[in-house]
Amino acid sequence: MRLFWELTKISFQRHLTYRAATVAGLVTNFFFGILRASIFVALYDLQTEVEGITLQGAITYAALGQALIGYLHMFSWFELMNTVYTGDIASDLLKPMNYFSFWLAQDVGRALVNFLLRGVTVMIGYAFLFDLYWPSGLTHISAIATSMVLSLLVSFSWRFLINLTSFWTPNALGILRFFFVLSWFFSGFLMPLRFYPDWVIRISYLLPFPHMMNTTMEVYLGVLQGPEIVLALLNQVLWIVGLVAAGQLVLRMGVRRLVILGG
Amino acid sequence: MAIISVQNLSKHFKVFKHHRGTLGAVRNLFSRQHTIVRAVDEISFNIQAGELVGYIGPNGAGKSTTIKMLTGLLVPTSGELLVNNLVPWKERQKYVSRVGAVFGQRTTLWWDLPVIESLSLLQYIYKIPADRFTANLKEFRDTLELDPFLDTPVRALSLGQRMRADLCAALLHDPDLLFLDEPTIGLDVVAKERIRQFIQKINRQRGTTVILTTHDLSDVEKLCQRVLIIDHGKLLFDGALNSLKERFSSKRELLVEFAEVYDEPIIDSAEISHVDGSRVSYLFSRDDISASELIGQLSAKYRIRDLEVREPEIEETIRRIYEERLLE
Repeated sequence: MRLFWELTKISFQRHLTYRAATVAGLVTNFFFGILRASIFVALYDLQTEVEGITLQGAITYAALGQALIGYLHMFSWFELMNTVYTGDIASDLLKPMNYFSFWLAQDVGRALVNFLLRGVTVMIGYAFLFDLYWPSGLTHISAIATSMVLSLLVSFSWRFLINLTSFWTPNALGILRFFFVLSWFFSGFLMPLRFYPDWVIRISYLLPFPHMMNTTMEVYLGVLQGPEIVLALLNQVLWIVGLVAAGQLVLRMGVRRLVILGG
Repeated sequence: MAIISVQNLSKHFKVFKHHRGTLGAVRNLFSRQHTIVRAVDEISFNIQAGELVGYIGPNGAGKSTTIKMLTGLLVPTSGELLVNNLVPWKERQKYVSRVGAVFGQRTTLWWDLPVIESLSLLQYIYKIPADRFTANLKEFRDTLELDPFLDTPVRALSLGQRMRADLCAALLHDPDLLFLDEPTIGLDVVAKERIRQFIQKINRQRGTTVILTTHDLSDVEKLCQRVLIIDHGKLLFDGALNSLKERFSSKRELLVEFAEVYDEPIIDSAEISHVDGSRVSYLFSRDDISASELIGQLSAKYRIRDLEVREPEIEETIRRIYEERLLE
């Protein structure tokens, strides 16, 4: 546990120093959020509510999505893959630590920096431009917080799992990019999943992606109520358990066929 | 009790056949033709606790592959491997907590962290008791002279500094066993000597078993009582370096400076390899004649001002073993 905390701390400090990257990310998130919010305004036109989401909800949805990008890091992560190709993975495997926790700790540090510097800033920025929906009540806020933490865990254990493909192929970049495009679409990042046709929604819930983002959004917007929230959180937990288990299994198989290159 | 026991250990790699050209690239998609490369082929040896063993061989001989299997990074194709009573790759976490490793070609420290932070992190990774950690760190800071760059990020270190930091990192947790993969590669003479002295000290004072791979035979000459030679995946030699020298040494050389210039100062049991005025060098082999006999014969016939016997370089011996395949 002490090691986890130390690794998180180091990663936190490291990501704090990436100032230029943070500012660039912030500007991009902010700009695309305004674009997406404007599209919602145009689409809603005179309608007050679509699939249980009001125009205010939809705009908040766009803002929240932009705020969470940095924190969840859903659309790109190649760090583990790179260590396989450079051979640096050797020094990680030579240390008596759990390989999954080693990466998770660092991802938590990264996520914290991005939540504080990008997530919070983006939400405050939009609060000046739009009339956003804000959660109220301790129960609601703690439900949102729980779901956000679980989202990160789903997102990370998924990214960990797909990065392991680099143990099998000399160039996993294409495979990873393909999966990242899938998560873009099926996580509900583009539009609330509720806006899609039923069959798309059904497919997406066979996949881990909705639990990375859509669930947190629906909890935030109050689309889910009472027992629905509990069920949604449980669903996230189940996916985490499944993905972590799959990751451990694939890791064990992968390490056996791993060829560490160089020197 | 052997700390490392290796029985018929092999590692084979599949290398897929690569067709050239555009048409070849298409064929590569469907072709699964491959050849088997026997990187390590049925090698066996035991190493006792406290030994300092040199593991040498030319590039691509299988040294690194063996070290990677010994450290648990590679799974053997066949054979048995027991280190510290554990099968390295099966119980990785438990196993690596008792060994240390330094790879000359890469660092095990965090690239963008100051040295001291990387080292501190190791305390938690290896769960080193605080007093042991403090004592070890203090000792290594002195012997390896780490203080001038403790707060420098690893990426900004010179090669020699990095190697010292890496050695410290590999030893903070008091490992039973230390693997050094080319620890002196690319270092200057002074830095090499420093690293060698440190390795020797660790081996003698702490009783740490050390396995050392290297291309620099003076490392082996200065440090190792025992040497393993591998080539083409096969273990060619296992024994003391001196016995290797005696068995395979090429001819010894006698350099003579005569008091006057002789026209062809021939002697039966040695051949002249070089003449430069009054200086003549003779090559002779240990089996034919001893140095003192040769000198006796020479001085009986000619007036000698000065002489010097040169032993063959170990490098020369090893080169001959690789090139002429003397041990196969």
